[in-house]
Formats: sequence, C-alpha cells, structure tokens
Amino acid sequence: MGAIPKPPQGQFNVLYFASANSFTSKEYDTLPAPLPIGKLFDALEEKHSGIKDKILSSCLVTVNLNYVDVPNDNSEDASESSVVIQAGDEVAIIPPVSSG
Amino acid sequence: MEPCLTESSEEGCYVALTHKHLHAQDIMDRVRSPQAGAIVLFAGTTRDNFAGKQVKELQYSAYIPMALKTMLSICTDIRVRHGLKSIAMMHRLGTVPIGEESILIAVSAPHRQAAWRAGEEALENCKKHVEVWKREEFEGEEGVWRANRDGLPGQKTTGKDEEI
Repeated sequence: MGAIPKPPQGQFNVLYFASANSFTSKEYDTLPAPLPIGKLFDALEEKHSGIKDKILSSCLVTVNLNYVDVPNDNSEDASESSVVIQAGDEVAIIPPVSSG
Repeated sequence: MEPCLTESSEEGCYVALTHKHLHAQDIMDRVRSPQAGAIVLFAGTTRDNFAGKQVKELQYSAYIPMALKTMLSICTDIRVRHGLKSIAMMHRLGTVPIGEESILIAVSAPHRQAAWRAGEEALENCKKHVEVWKREEFEGEEGVWRANRDGLPGQKTTGKDEEI
C-alpha cells in the first residue's frame, strides 16, 4: 500500500486491506465526518454493493490504530456507548489475518 | 515507494517488517546476551501447496503501523511472562518465492525451557493477531487471501463469488 493522502477537511479515510482491497479495487475511501461507528458498514455498502455480507461481516475495524466494537444495526443503545468517527481519523477494515 | 524496512523496539524487544530477504544470523545476533543460556529461533518458510493445489508464490501485505504495534505488544507481553532476556520478530512483505523465509522469531532466555515455550507462543500469537495478509498465487487460476483462523480455502481475490 502506498502513502494515503490526508483526508480533506471534515472527512476521514477508510483503509482497505487484503480481501477488502480486492473487493473494492481501492486502497481507501474518504467519507464525511462525524459518523457513528454503527453506521459505517451501511455507508460502505452504499459505495460498494455487497461488501457488507461478503467482506465486512468477517472483518474487524480499527480507528486510529485501536480496535473498536461495531454495534449491530438493530441494537438499541448502540448510539450512546459507541465510538463516533471524527474528521481526520484513520479507520481501517481488518479482514481475518494470515501472517506467518 | 514503500520503505524497505520499518521497525519498532523497546527494551529487550525488536520487531520489523521488510521487503528484503530475512537472515537467521541477523535476528539471532539481535537477541544474543551473555546472560542467556539459550536462543530459540523459528523460521517460517513458504510452502508449495495448499490442500494439494500447487502454489506458485506468496504475496504478503500489511497494515504497517498496526502490524508493528501488534508485534511489539505481543513481544513485550511474552518477554515479561517468560522472563526472556530478549525477543525479536521480523516478517517479510511483498513477493516471497516458495521455500524462502517469510517470518523469523528469535528469543533468548537464561534457560532453554522458557525459550522454547516463549518462541512457540510468540508465533501462535503472531499468526492470530498481526495485521499481515498472505495471498497464495496458483498456477493457472486466481489467487486467494488466506485466513489463519480456519485453515480453510481463502476468499477469491475478486470477492464476487467466493466461498468463505
């Protein structure tokens, strides 16, 4: 992966690796902030139809190099306790790893 | 252009990702200590088949800052818990031809038992958590992204009609 440019003001980057990179044919997308983490997968599904079931369902998510919980679509209290992605954050989709 | 080597370290721990060949002697020298009675070295090499299918070569990619952070955290944890003098972990990225080293782990300890155990645990934790991905390239068909957690065939790189 080459150098990823800083996102424009008011936006954040989502980085794609391995199967997520192959599916989107991109290294990253730029999305408007703020965005509650629970809305992230839907926002990506709008850009890449089918990604939610085929890729994201088996992936973890990091924000600024820390893993975060992604609440289910229909969990009631998701919005109160969970992360809100801010402008300038670096979000990454982490498929199942295969180092070694 | 990506840097050829990125590394991170703290007391008694060294981790690195590199596009160059890995050298067993170099990583052993990183953990060598007069207080150690043993160095255990693990070298993972690229295998020529998956479930009987011929693999041509492997491609490794990484989320570099995240992988370094995770590697360092694994190493610092294991160093303390097993009373190691030192631990080092290096992973190769890019194209790795069959039969070459893709990962090296070296640990040094006052006594061999701790070194054996720590070396194995370091590798298992690395395979479980470090943000590096391997794509197996086959002769005459498209590559697949491997997933360590299941040992099952990986996802086709197009992602359109894969079996998980």
